[in-house]
Amino acid sequence: MNVESSSVLEAEDVSFAYPGNGGTLHDINLSIYSGEKVGIIGPNGAGKTTFFLLACGILRPVSGGVRLFQKPVTGREFNPQAALVFQRPDDQLFCPTVYEDVAFGPQNMGLDAKEVDRRTWEALKGVDAASLAERPVHHLSEGEKKMVSIATALAMHPGLIIYDEPSAALDIRTRRRLINLMPGSAETIIVASHDLELILEVCTRVILMDQGRIITQGDPAVIMGDADLMQAHGQEKPHSLIPHYYQHQH
Amino acid sequence: MSCNVPQTKTSVLHRMDPRFRLVGLFVLIFAYSFVSDFRLLGAMLIFTLMLFFISGLPARFIVQKLKLPSLIILVLVLILPFVSGQNTLLDLGFISLKQEGLHASGVIAARFLCIITTVMIVLHTAPLLTHVQAMRAMGLPWIMADMALLTGRYLEVLGCDLGRMQTAMRLRGLNASRPGLYMLRTRAWLCGSLLVRGLERADWVYRAMRLRGYGQNRTATLQFRATALDMAVLSAALLAAGTVMGLEIWFGL
Amino acid sequence: MHIPDGILPLPLTLGGYAACAAAVFFCLHRIKKRPEPAADIPKAALLTSAFFVASLIHIPVPPASVHLMLSGLLGVLLGFFAIPAILIGLFFQAVMFGHGGLTTLGINGVIIGFPAMAAHYIFRFGTRGKHGPKPTATFAFLAGALAIMLSVLLFALLLVTAVPADMGAAVEKTAMLVIIAAHVPLALVEGVITAMTATFLLRVSPRVLHGV
Repeated sequence: MNVESSSVLEAEDVSFAYPGNGGTLHDINLSIYSGEKVGIIGPNGAGKTTFFLLACGILRPVSGGVRLFQKPVTGREFNPQAALVFQRPDDQLFCPTVYEDVAFGPQNMGLDAKEVDRRTWEALKGVDAASLAERPVHHLSEGEKKMVSIATALAMHPGLIIYDEPSAALDIRTRRRLINLMPGSAETIIVASHDLELILEVCTRVILMDQGRIITQGDPAVIMGDADLMQAHGQEKPHSLIPHYYQHQH
Repeated sequence: MSCNVPQTKTSVLHRMDPRFRLVGLFVLIFAYSFVSDFRLLGAMLIFTLMLFFISGLPARFIVQKLKLPSLIILVLVLILPFVSGQNTLLDLGFISLKQEGLHASGVIAARFLCIITTVMIVLHTAPLLTHVQAMRAMGLPWIMADMALLTGRYLEVLGCDLGRMQTAMRLRGLNASRPGLYMLRTRAWLCGSLLVRGLERADWVYRAMRLRGYGQNRTATLQFRATALDMAVLSAALLAAGTVMGLEIWFGL
Repeated sequence: MHIPDGILPLPLTLGGYAACAAAVFFCLHRIKKRPEPAADIPKAALLTSAFFVASLIHIPVPPASVHLMLSGLLGVLLGFFAIPAILIGLFFQAVMFGHGGLTTLGINGVIIGFPAMAAHYIFRFGTRGKHGPKPTATFAFLAGALAIMLSVLLFALLLVTAVPADMGAAVEKTAMLVIIAAHVPLALVEGVITAMTATFLLRVSPRVLHGV
């Protein structure tokens, strides 16, 4: 594998601090390659969301640089190749109806009306939300809003989708739909989540962050199976990795 | 606080191009505000009733919408006959009913009823934000159009936030709280919290918009397509408005 | 302070639209001069939503309760976005609740919007170089109360003089004085709420107070 040509996201010595804050990210070095499903875990305030905003060019690092699909991220251009699904759907969905929200990204890509329409319906069908197209966004349930948020990303056909706490506030059924949907939603995905079972199911690599730094990264079962490591960084070993002395009765 | 449109059978008003609907509406209501001849006011009331039947909107919906605004105009309509005019119709001792005042009350009441009923009928045949998009398509500046669309989008969200905060306050004794400055301060904090939440949410909304290309190109407006029916209905509205205004001028000569 | 449809003559309602259009043109012109006008639109819009919702908060004033207008605070925080925001708010109120009117949208925009801009300048010039809670509270109170009194003055003047009936000069004067006097307690309450909200924002989130 030609590593450099398949690199999707690279961060080199990236540091960032919000104004009036000591430091949110410190010396982040990270590479994510095409086809990977990467999970990022860590306690609240570890810097996961901040890193995503830097990766998409919304924030500019204080030092270091980020490259997306081998191009430096400047924040000045619209890059539909990378999509970010926010934790709170109400922050992501800002148009009057579902259809218009999903169509928003493709419209700004300069595509013609027919292609915009085709992609919009394709994305809605992909998340099983075609019947919601004409509904006002604020009439949807949390699960429906989450699915529509994902559709807004899918419609842009991105090479990378970043999911920030995707299963937060979802019921079991919707969570299962999400887990089934995520791996195939884009060539490369990054998922930040406190739902460690979701990370285990979906991701092929996991990165543990704490206090703005990358602590370690590697195989999800190995990293998350280390109870002492997880506990030291505000996490717990996922239930499915805990040896069971008494079998569950089914 | 919803912009809900009542579910009803689709009428010719529902099927109209929103731009034509808006132009027709504004022409009609401004024409109504010009009229003071009672014969024409009567014709206006009949025309408004016809519009209501054409729209197919439930009567209960319209009555519900008229309740609050009617209360406000009622005060003025009740006071005017006793405070304005020279010709006394009825002398009640300390106050007297005046002809000009009664005439003015009738004019205001009829105009108000016709205008507000027409507005409610026409604007509730489509979601409110569709009308904003129609205005944008007709040249409303993009800053105002985008502001209006986002304002409408987040009204219910912030309304829910307010509801939750008020519930939380109530659970901690808000209704039993001390009156006076303490009560005012609690309300002020509620207001301040809403503003802070609004602004913090705005940061995220802008990020979401930028990530999907907002600000790079002017986002394409919703496509509206007019038909012969739209032209016909608008022409009818223009004719009605023109006739009413023309007759008003002629009767006044 | 909203004049309903049906009361004012056509030349006045059209004049109101013309005056508002000119004001909006001026405000948008100033907004477009900013380095990134699009970046401020979500802030202005979400604050407009927040103000709309906040105006639904009841303030018990025995034996009844009132709803605040908060036009002074809106002017302080939104600056050149204030008049567009007020017009949007008035449009939604007219359509959703029948409060105010569509033919009188322009005139109501003048009645509420122009004093809101005055409130903006009162607060900004008053607190220039002074950032503590006392000057913030003082000038916020003045901004909130004066915005209401100016609106009441315009409202009373227009309503009383433009009603389609001749009331006589003495009755008109009395009516105006009654309307103005009746709103003085409201203006004081608005001033106090504006002051308290401004000091809350100063403590919790000063950047909201810096405005859009």
